[in-house]
Amino acid sequence: MSNVKKIALSLAAAALVLGLAACGGNGGSNETTTTARTPESAQEGGKGAKEKVPTIVVRNDEPVDGIERLEYNAGETIRFKVESDKAEEVHLHGYDVMKDIPAGGSVTFDLPAEIEGIFEAELEGVGVQIAEIRVNP
Amino acid sequence: MSFLPLAHALVARQDLPVPAWLFAWGASIVLIVSFFALAAGWRKPRFEQLHWRPLAAGLSRSLLSTPMQALCGLVGVFLFGVAVYAGLHGTEAPDRNLALTFFFVTCWLGFPVVSAILGDVFRPFNPWRAVGRLAGSGFRAIAGERSAHLTYPERLGRWPAAIGLLAVVWLETIYGGSGGVAVGLDPHAAAEAALVYSGYTLAMMALFGVEEWCERGEVFSVYFGMFSRLGYFGVSDGRLGRRRPLAAAGRWATIPGSAAVVIASIASTSFDGAQEGAFKDAIETVTEWVAELGASSLTTARLTDTIFMLLCFAGVGLVYLLGVRGMRTVRNAPPLATLRDGFAHTLIPIALAYLVAHYFSLFVFQEQAQFTYLLSDPLGTASTDLFGTASSGIDFKVLSSTAIWYVQVAALVGGHVLGLTLAHDRALAYWPNYRQATRSQYWMLAVMVTFTCFGLYLLSVSNA
Repeated sequence: MSNVKKIALSLAAAALVLGLAACGGNGGSNETTTTARTPESAQEGGKGAKEKVPTIVVRNDEPVDGIERLEYNAGETIRFKVESDKAEEVHLHGYDVMKDIPAGGSVTFDLPAEIEGIFEAELEGVGVQIAEIRVNP
Repeated sequence: MSFLPLAHALVARQDLPVPAWLFAWGASIVLIVSFFALAAGWRKPRFEQLHWRPLAAGLSRSLLSTPMQALCGLVGVFLFGVAVYAGLHGTEAPDRNLALTFFFVTCWLGFPVVSAILGDVFRPFNPWRAVGRLAGSGFRAIAGERSAHLTYPERLGRWPAAIGLLAVVWLETIYGGSGGVAVGLDPHAAAEAALVYSGYTLAMMALFGVEEWCERGEVFSVYFGMFSRLGYFGVSDGRLGRRRPLAAAGRWATIPGSAAVVIASIASTSFDGAQEGAFKDAIETVTEWVAELGASSLTTARLTDTIFMLLCFAGVGLVYLLGVRGMRTVRNAPPLATLRDGFAHTLIPIALAYLVAHYFSLFVFQEQAQFTYLLSDPLGTASTDLFGTASSGIDFKVLSSTAIWYVQVAALVGGHVLGLTLAHDRALAYWPNYRQATRSQYWMLAVMVTFTCFGLYLLSVSNA
């Protein structure tokens, strides 16, 4: 009896694990609803490249279209632009890059994606998150 | 929770979720290892005896001497004082102030890991115990007799510590209003909480006695002490010695409420890992319901998160109690209460594994800050540079995502194996024969596989 039970139990447990693995897999694929991908940036275009740079528009200390989610692979170039009606300072955490925007002006971030993980970009003065940068290995 | 005015995150880099393939491998290894662990010919208990070997008398005496204990106590009180001072008078930026990193990363995450290897290293440095003992000897010197204490209600056991443990995590992850791996609390609030806790602890020590309260009610003594039972060194009859690793754990849960402590530990780590990932949608739904009651957004968020944290506690407890009930159905089983307390210690390695899996990267990153700029400039006001490291930063490149994933999965699988081993060993001591003991362990196997796969699942869901 113990053998039968053992087999039944391991089958049940295996089913549980497979079920969970499937959930995990689904979760992963659902999660890739990124609003902007930048495949172009994989091939370094140099100065002449006319690729579309994702732009985050800030009005009254808030990102107009909500928190922008950007995804890159390690080795690509993180490139995005921030426009603001007020003078702000943008801080890209982890990479620890700070850039000032004059009132009504814009600033462009352009740096190699060399640290893997999930990072916030925020308006330093008011502490509002404007983007989430994800760098996959 | 984007409607909250978030403070700066304590750590600027968050982990990427464990990929599905690694998750599946981790879970499969857990199953295979479990199967063979039970089938293996482990027929006699090996962890019921401590296998105590005392250290050399001279070494033991000098390490446990009164001046040495006073010195360690002084170090503990000094560091606690520095952190509280930094919290009260330093910058409000959480990542630049020593207080948060020292309390919630260096101590809260460091002591469990170090204790699990070496034994109870927190005890000599415990600032409240040091102050309490000093007060006790002062009283003796003046009054000429020992201070009288109330009898601690035995049934209360370690419940105050279990509730306190949930309160600490509540403060860290819910009160501050930020989530994920970050500590949302501001340094000032953390320092005030530390002072309030000090007052409460010293009062309880005065009422019930220093050692009594440390063993049962003092959150940090109980929590770190729980992990220290896995460790190699211990004190017995006033002498320092070595013991078989894991063996002391079997005697930990003899005080009522111990199971609640270890369940609170697993539940609070799960909650922290799940609130921005697995539970995110559910939390948002409940938030909307609560918001309709008309509370402010901050109150709503706190209330919702509190509900989910308690649900985690109830859920983890329920899984464990189901396992215990299952074991009771095997013939010749001891009474339910015996089983409930007798297997609680088998969850300690799982609790440790959860901690390592969820906070390993945070610890590695934030300790760089602890030992560079936070050490040189504890207030974060750029007014001091004690060791010339005030301008250093955190190197986020020391750990690749793959390295973090492997550590996470290895911790969960390893914790699972240790927990299973302890449970099997305990069953051999409780049941009269090997067959029944093994059969009872199908239930604990189910419990452990559930916890491990749940832990892996949490890591595989995006936390952003």
